[in-house]
Order: sequence, then C-alpha cells, then structure tokens
Amino acid sequence: MTADAHALTHPRPTPASPERPGLLGWLSTVDHKRIGLMYLGTGLLFFLLGGLEALLIRLQLARPGATLLGPDIYNQIFTMHGTTMIFLGVMPLAAGFGNYLIPLMLGARDVAFPKLNALSYWVFLFAGLLMNSSFVFGGAPSTGWFAYAPLTERAFSPGTGVDFWILGVLLLGLSTTIGSINFIVTILQLRAPGMSLNRMPMFAWTMLVTSMIAVFALPSLTVAILLLLLDRQLGTHFYNVAQGGDALLWQHLFWFFGHPEVYILILPAMGMVSEIIPVFSRKPLFGYRVVAYSSVAIGFLGFTVWAHHMFSTGLPSAALLVFSADSFLIGVPTGVKVFSWLATMWRGRLRLTTAMLFAIGFIALFVIGGLGGVSLAVVPVDWQLTDTYYVVSHFHYVLFGGSVFAILGAAYYWFPKMTGRRLGERLGTLHFWLTFVGMNLVFMPMHILGLLGMPRRIYTYAAGKGWEGWNMVATIGAFVVALSMLVFVVNLIRSLRRPPTHEADPWDANTLEWTTASPPLAYNFAEIPTVRSARPYWDAKHPDLADWKARR
Amino acid sequence: MRRMSWLRRVMISLAGLALAGCAGAPSMLRPASSVSAREAWLFWVVLAMAAVVFVLVEGLIVLIVARDRRRGDEAGEPTQVHGHTRLEIIWTVVPLLLVILLFGLTIGTMRAVAAPEPREGDINVRVVGHRWWWQFDYPDYGFTTANELHIPLGSAAHLTLESADVIHSFWVPQLAGKTDLIPGAINSMWLSADAPGTYDGQCSEFCGIQHAGMRIHVIVESREDFEAWVSTQQAPPVEAATALAQQGEDMVLTGVCSSCHSVRGTSAEGKVGPDLTHLMSRSTMAGGMYPLNGAYLRRWLANTQEMKPGNLMVVRLAPDDMAAVLAYLTQLK
Repeated sequence: MTADAHALTHPRPTPASPERPGLLGWLSTVDHKRIGLMYLGTGLLFFLLGGLEALLIRLQLARPGATLLGPDIYNQIFTMHGTTMIFLGVMPLAAGFGNYLIPLMLGARDVAFPKLNALSYWVFLFAGLLMNSSFVFGGAPSTGWFAYAPLTERAFSPGTGVDFWILGVLLLGLSTTIGSINFIVTILQLRAPGMSLNRMPMFAWTMLVTSMIAVFALPSLTVAILLLLLDRQLGTHFYNVAQGGDALLWQHLFWFFGHPEVYILILPAMGMVSEIIPVFSRKPLFGYRVVAYSSVAIGFLGFTVWAHHMFSTGLPSAALLVFSADSFLIGVPTGVKVFSWLATMWRGRLRLTTAMLFAIGFIALFVIGGLGGVSLAVVPVDWQLTDTYYVVSHFHYVLFGGSVFAILGAAYYWFPKMTGRRLGERLGTLHFWLTFVGMNLVFMPMHILGLLGMPRRIYTYAAGKGWEGWNMVATIGAFVVALSMLVFVVNLIRSLRRPPTHEADPWDANTLEWTTASPPLAYNFAEIPTVRSARPYWDAKHPDLADWKARR
Repeated sequence: MRRMSWLRRVMISLAGLALAGCAGAPSMLRPASSVSAREAWLFWVVLAMAAVVFVLVEGLIVLIVARDRRRGDEAGEPTQVHGHTRLEIIWTVVPLLLVILLFGLTIGTMRAVAAPEPREGDINVRVVGHRWWWQFDYPDYGFTTANELHIPLGSAAHLTLESADVIHSFWVPQLAGKTDLIPGAINSMWLSADAPGTYDGQCSEFCGIQHAGMRIHVIVESREDFEAWVSTQQAPPVEAATALAQQGEDMVLTGVCSSCHSVRGTSAEGKVGPDLTHLMSRSTMAGGMYPLNGAYLRRWLANTQEMKPGNLMVVRLAPDDMAAVLAYLTQLK
C-alpha cells in the first residue's frame, strides 16, 4: 500500500477543535465547515418558512371563493414564498453543501477566501431578515418574485414592500457573487495534487459552473433592480412608460438573470445526485466527461433562452423561433445526464438508503419537470399555458422534485460526515415516501389545472370551472409534504441527540471527504493525498479495480 | 389478461376523472376555434412524445431498482463500466432529432395560427386593459363597452391590445393563446369561433391586487344577433323616465361618478372605470366577477371593497342616494 493509500484508508481521530468555544466561536468563525453548517441551518429555517407560506396559499385555494386571506395578504404571501424558496432556501442550502464539501472533496484545508466566505453568509442572513421584516414594517412586497415593471413602480405599488425586496435582492446578489468568486477560485486553485479538472468530483464541477453562471447573470439583475430603485426613489423613468420608459426592458434584464438562475438552482442538485448514485450503485459515474461537459453546455445555453419567458409579449416571430430553438437544445444535455445516471445504476449493486431513494426520486421527478419544460418551449403551446398552473407545476417538478429532493438526499448522505451520526433510516424511508407521494399530489393536479384554464397568482376563483377538485387534491398533498418535513425535523433532532459514532466512511464512498474524520478536523486533512482519478478513495480501497487503470 | 383489464379499468377511470373536471372549464383542450384546435393538437402531439420518454425513463428506473436492488448484498463489486461512446452518442442524437421535429411542428403551427388577411365582415376591436377590468372599443361602430366581448360567428375579430396602466394578458383558452397588453406598446391578436356560445377567460399576467378579478367573457353570436347587439350599443343612453331616476341621473352625470365613468353624449366622460352607457345590457359586473342585476348593484354601490377588495372604486353610496342612483343605472339598458 502506498503512503497515499494509507492516508486515505486510515483517517486520524478527531482532536479538539481550535475554534473559540460557544456562540462566539460560531459568530467569529471563518471555517468553511462551520459557515457551511450555518448556511444549511439558516437555509432550512427559511425553507420551512417558505413552506408555511405555501400551506397558506394552498389553504386559500383549496375551495373557490375562500376568504381566509384577502387578496393583499395572499399576494404578499405568494411573493415571499417564491422569493424565500429561491433566494433564501434552495440557493443557501446548495451554498451550504458547497461550503462544507468543496474543500473536503478537493483535498483542501479551506476555501480560498475564508473571511469573504463569512461575509457572504452574514450578508445573506441580514438580507433574509431584512426582506422578511417587511411583513411587520408596512407590508411585504406583493408583486411576485419576478417583480414585473411597471407594476413595481411607485404609482402602482406605493408601499415600501418593493423597496425592501429591492434592497434584499441587491444584498443577496452581493452575497452570492462573493460566494461564487470564492467557489471559482477554490475549485480552480486549491485542488489536491493530481486532481485535474477531469478528476474532480461531479459536485465540484456543477458548483464551478453554477458559480460562473451566478457571476455572469447577477449583474443583469443588479442593474435591473438599481434602475427600479432609481425610478421609485429618485423619479427616473427607466420603466415608466408615461415618461418614455420601457416596460419590457425589465423583463429582458430580469430574465437574462432569471433563466440562468434556474440552472443555479438545479446544477448543484445534479452534482449531488451524481455523487450519491455511484456510491450506492457501486459503479463509477457513467460517462463522467459527458456529464461534466453537459453541465458546461447547460451553463452556456442557459444564457440564450431568457425570452422563452416572454413568448406572449408580442416579440417578432423570428425572435420567438430563436429562443424556442435554444430552449429545445437545452433539453439535450439535460437528457444526457438523466441517461447517464440510469446507466450508472444499470446492473449496479443498489443499496436503497434514504439518500439513494431521494436521488432516484430526483431522476423520476426531474424528468417530468424537464418534459414539461420542453412542452413550454413549443411556442404555440406556451401561448396557451404560460402564466397558468401548468407552469407552476413544471417548475415545481424541477425545483422541488429536482433541487429539493437532491438536497434532502444530500442531507441524508453527508449528515454523518458533518455530525458523526447517521440520520435514522426508517424515519428517512418514511420521510422519502411521504415527500414523494405528497409532492405528486400537490403538483400533478396543477398540470391539469393549467390545462383547464387556471391562471397563476389568482387569490380566488369561481366555482363551476372544474378547478375545485384538483385544487383540493393539491391542498391535501401540500399537507402530506408538510407532514414529511415534520418527520425530517424529528429525524434531525433525534439523530443529533444520539451519541456520535464518528464513522469516517459509513457508505463505503469514493471521494476525499470520506477519508477524513467525521466530523472533520478543523484543518480537514492531516496529509493532503495525491489523486489519480475521480474516485480517489475507491482507488485506495480497490487497488485492482482502480479507476486510473481503467481504459476509459 | 386479468391484469390488463384491471390496468385498463384504472386508466379509463383516471381519464374519466380528468375529463369530469373538464365540463365547464375554459380549457385549451376543449377548443372552439381553428387556432385553439391547432394549439390543442400540438399539445397532444407533444404529450404523446413526452409520454414515450416518460415511460422509457420511469420504466427503466423501476426495472433497474427492482432487478438490481437484490444484488445489494452480493459480495464483490459489479463490473466497473465507465462509459459507452456509442450509447452516449445515441442518447444525444435521438433527443436532438426529437426536438428538431418539435421545432418543425412549432414553426408549422405558428404559421397556421397567424392572423389571416382581414375579410368582409370581420370586426376590429381595441382592447384596453385596466386595473381590473377590460375596455372593448368598437371603432367601426363608434361605441365602447366592458368585460364582455361580442363577436359575430363566422367572422374574425382583429384585436389591438393596449394597456392603461400595468401589463395584463388577454386569454380565452378555447379561442386562442394569450397575448400581453403592454403599456406603451400595441400588440395584436385575432379571434374566431366555430360555434356560438359564451367563452370564459381572464387576465393571465399578474397585475396587482385584483388580478383574479379581471375576467373576460367572449360572446359569440349569429350575425343577426350581433347586429342587433351593435344597434343597442349605438343607441343613445336611455333617458331618465321617473323623478327618482332623474335625480339619480343628475348625481351620476355631474357627481363623483362622472370623474371615472362615461355615459355617452353626456358630461360624464371619465375613463378610469367602465362605460355605463348601456350598463344593463351586460350580464356581469366588477370585472366579470358577479352577475349584473339590481341586487348586486346595490351591494356594490354600498361597499365596492367588500365585493372586490382593493379595486379602485372607493365610493360608498349613502343610503339616501342609493335608490336614486340605482333607479337611473338599472334603466341604462
């Protein structure tokens, strides 16, 4: 056994953490693992808050003509639900896993800029609290997460809600930009010896692409909301049509960010799934390079499809066709990934742990979301279905069935590394099935509701349009999902109360983070290993079957 | 065999369930025009193609999990397959061909549903979106109405779409896909229908607090009925016949009502709310949320915010004025 392999297979025990004790230690930390955990904890709380908002939405829509929430409150709730889930839930959760795992996966001792990393977290936390404080300071924004001008102009939204939203999103953009630059530099500069880009764990690939997308997409959003802020506070007329502004300018600027944002939300999830599936299939990721490069392709193509959110705005046919074609194209690298995951599982030795169940659930549900997306790239179909519940269903299959399922799978998979304890598998299996059944109960009927003519963002609807039954089913499903999240929280608390077992490698996994202690030492690795393939730990454990010996 | 029939029964009852919700629904899958029929047809094609992919992928998942989970406890490692170039080419090229096919169908359908050249008998309507109601101007006939769009069967209606404030979207699924109404721009679309009837739709771009209360009724009627309706709308407003109605007329035409509402040929020329000239010829009110009759009108005038919270009409009529205003409005047939 080589020295490297010895280091890989014989992790050292945990010494005492050099961090300051107690709360001060957390407040002052610049350790990527602690910041990762803070991101994860905060993200989970905001995610649960967004979930409560979803329950209120579903209660209001369960029956026609309900009066539980007035239109004003309802509009605030759905705006904050979307904003929270995207900016304060899924993105921070992905950033949390990225923070915790990327240096460990790369064989690094920390991210490139630990202090910036802490800044990124604290700005995010402040922005989240600032935005949500609008509920008590004169009302939350009620213009939707895409905040279309000129509705967001002062003439039509005179309250302060939109201003809170602008400031919050500006700060979140700052936080994400800092975090993304940190990830990019870390991934490009701090890899272990021998770890070429094509030997990185797939999660590192997707975080690299995600961070690149964020850095290039966010300026467009920043400009858009700064112009809006100027309009609202200084009386400029960028979007103010009466004074010669342009209402559609907002949509172009916003969606130039907004569509890449979709890939910011889904690519890390794809990376997580690409880590989990090979481990529990006991095979390498099928077509590693194709999966990696398809992420890059998605990253580029993601910038060329923004106007497919604008098919009904009266753009000329030639423009519609260009954006339609690009939107179709983006389905190809996405499909490649799905088939690669299936091929990874094919004739593997499957272990259906909770993490694996969520990863498989991800594939099953993401495919539905992807197919829905392809149908919306068909311009005449989109003319009918855009801004209906069909779209709501489509992007929830991607964001909930996709991103959230992957994040939950990642939670089960990496929890032992972070805490030295496994999450309960029996509760986990229950959690998975409740979430799986519940999410389909919520979102499959929404496809039908869209086809039956129900627009999005309506606080009430009349009886007799055939919408009542499906809305009721969706509401029941929402409570099943809520129950599943309760099971998850119980599982988290119960597992954290158990004494740690400190298993370094509970899943017999492939990547470097499993070669060190659980939880890892402050400095991550006693010795930085040399890497010869994308599965360094596998290579160490299976010298005869080592990846670097394989033909491909 | 028995399993097949069980499966078939489930499929039939599922389809029945989905369609049961369909009766009365303003659904694109119950098309009532050539445009919607083309769009619905394309949707079914896309759905069929998606179903093939869906069955393939979900079927593979079920197959792999059912088969390979039993190997989970086996000793030794499975064959380490790192990739397969030919397979990877196949699952890149086949989806590419499928989306190229879809793109071709997209182009074909967009051409097929494009607006035809205006023909004899076609009508022009200027649609203006307001928070939260629809203004329908018939420039060729010289009148304006609200929330209910009448079009003659067998002819096309060419709509120009404008907005008075924020972005709205005009959508009547059974007749056509949606087109946005954007302030500062003029969009256009066209409508026709295969059969007479009332087709429901509503605003489908979020436009503020009463986005849900901005509904559309398109009434497709025979040419004779349409012409009759046009002459009703062209007629001058009915003059007050009773003293009470006269009193109401004075209040409406010179009071606060006239700052937002119009009655053609009078001093009431407001443009914020719907035209009242032939109010009672419409069957709905408040952006199509309620049936229009004396009882609802009374409730509305007593407190509009109770019926449509957040709407821009903040007037509450005193009980003393109610009888007179109602008497005048209800005779504006």
